[in-house]
Amino acid sequence: MVKSRVLLILTLFTYLPHGFAQAEPDVTEPVALVNPAGAEYSIVPRKPELTYYPCTQCHKFMTPNPEVRDLSSPHPSTLDHGNERIWCLTCHKIDNRDFLTNLLGADIDFDNAPDLCASCHMQRHNDWMSGGHGKRVADWQGERVIYSCPQCHDPHSPAIKPRAPKPVPPIRKGLERGLHVKEAHLKVWERLEKRDHE
Amino acid sequence: MSKTKKTRSDERETGISRRSFIKGAGAAGSMAIAVTAVPAASAASWGGQTMKDAFGDFFQDHYKNMTPTELEQALARIERNAKRTTGVDIKCENTPPIPGVVFGYAINISKCKGYRDCVYACVEENNLGRDSQMQYIRVLEMEQGNRNLEKSDHYYDPETVPQKDKYYMPVQCMQCENPPCVKACPVEATWKEPDGIVVIDYNWCIGCRMCMGACPYWARHFNWTEPELPTEVVNPVTHYLGNRPRMRGVTEKCHFCVQRTRKGRLPACAEACPNGARIFGNLLDPQSEIRYVLENKDVFRLKEELGTEPKMWYFSD
Repeated sequence: MVKSRVLLILTLFTYLPHGFAQAEPDVTEPVALVNPAGAEYSIVPRKPELTYYPCTQCHKFMTPNPEVRDLSSPHPSTLDHGNERIWCLTCHKIDNRDFLTNLLGADIDFDNAPDLCASCHMQRHNDWMSGGHGKRVADWQGERVIYSCPQCHDPHSPAIKPRAPKPVPPIRKGLERGLHVKEAHLKVWERLEKRDHE
Repeated sequence: MSKTKKTRSDERETGISRRSFIKGAGAAGSMAIAVTAVPAASAASWGGQTMKDAFGDFFQDHYKNMTPTELEQALARIERNAKRTTGVDIKCENTPPIPGVVFGYAINISKCKGYRDCVYACVEENNLGRDSQMQYIRVLEMEQGNRNLEKSDHYYDPETVPQKDKYYMPVQCMQCENPPCVKACPVEATWKEPDGIVVIDYNWCIGCRMCMGACPYWARHFNWTEPELPTEVVNPVTHYLGNRPRMRGVTEKCHFCVQRTRKGRLPACAEACPNGARIFGNLLDPQSEIRYVLENKDVFRLKEELGTEPKMWYFSD
């Protein structure tokens, strides 16, 4: 009995300081999560790719202005998302710009952006967690590392833009049309009619 | 008796029958060939190979019948031949199928935008002949609102994709569970592996193209010419049943990048797709992505009525 109490106290001592020391998360480490099927997955961290992060570098000197308005550089001037129902401070936390926020006002880390996206796009988020949407980084086997939503969808203009396709498949050597038939582009009856005229 | 027609009496006169003459001529001819060829056992007389390699190639057994030693020798021979023809030190492997794994593929046709990135990633990964211009994947441009393959176009070339009122559907080997190509092969040069991949032993293939006729998906391709592989584009990581350099006169097709997937990697096409339209995984793993798609999405397969049970599903969401 005494032994078990000593053990309990010891374990408390070993865990408590550790728990407090985790205030600064490592930005390079993927975040480990679990999907509804019970499979673990992690997200590719987003913060190392953000040019101006941490945002408080500048914003700590500024007073927050909650008025809806157009922003100038370095912020995107247009928001092609949400059909004018949302604006910057819908997703960016007003009193701590190093975090995002959802409609409930929770702090959401930039690496955890999908949590925010899920507040509107829940069905997509479910698909993404389990593999029906989004993209896995490298392997089908082993640890499942997937890309975060903003990796493909620019949050300020999320629709995927049209792009030029890669070159047309060549007609294989020796199989070119018109090699044997000079007027291959014509229909059979057109060829016959033409021959009749000549 | 006419003079042109030889009779038994003529035979009796000369003492040589037609049969014995041919026998004699054959023996003399083979002697002559042997005499001229053997001393000149330089590389040129064996198609560029050494005599030992040429004989080894000629007498190589079917993949499934080879002993481990024979297989090792065959792999070494392939590596030597690739070094000779392309100048690259390739590694030809024989990674076995992973137990408890059957591969499945799903393509999200609402995410495929027709960029053809997968097509070219496949060409690079699988050492496809650049000169023969073969491609395993065909991206079909389809008319919105129907699934009529007759009206599909794979030579589409607009400024940008996706075009309005079109959708895009990549087609490649479906790795059928009941593959008609395997039944059509007269020499059993193609078969279904335990992990569901339909593979070809290129050395055993006689090039009769029966499999091409049997395939309802136009997934098999024939090497009409010697596939040309410039030194700078060779992918040195190869598999005996996969992307090792092929020869003229054999059939080949998509093999789900057997050299990658048997080591846990995604196929090159899945990795290349920028839209995440391609979902690949183990059908026997209930937590896999492919199982999520099959259980939660409205999936269809091409030409399902033929009973080929393809392991490639399409869905849109």
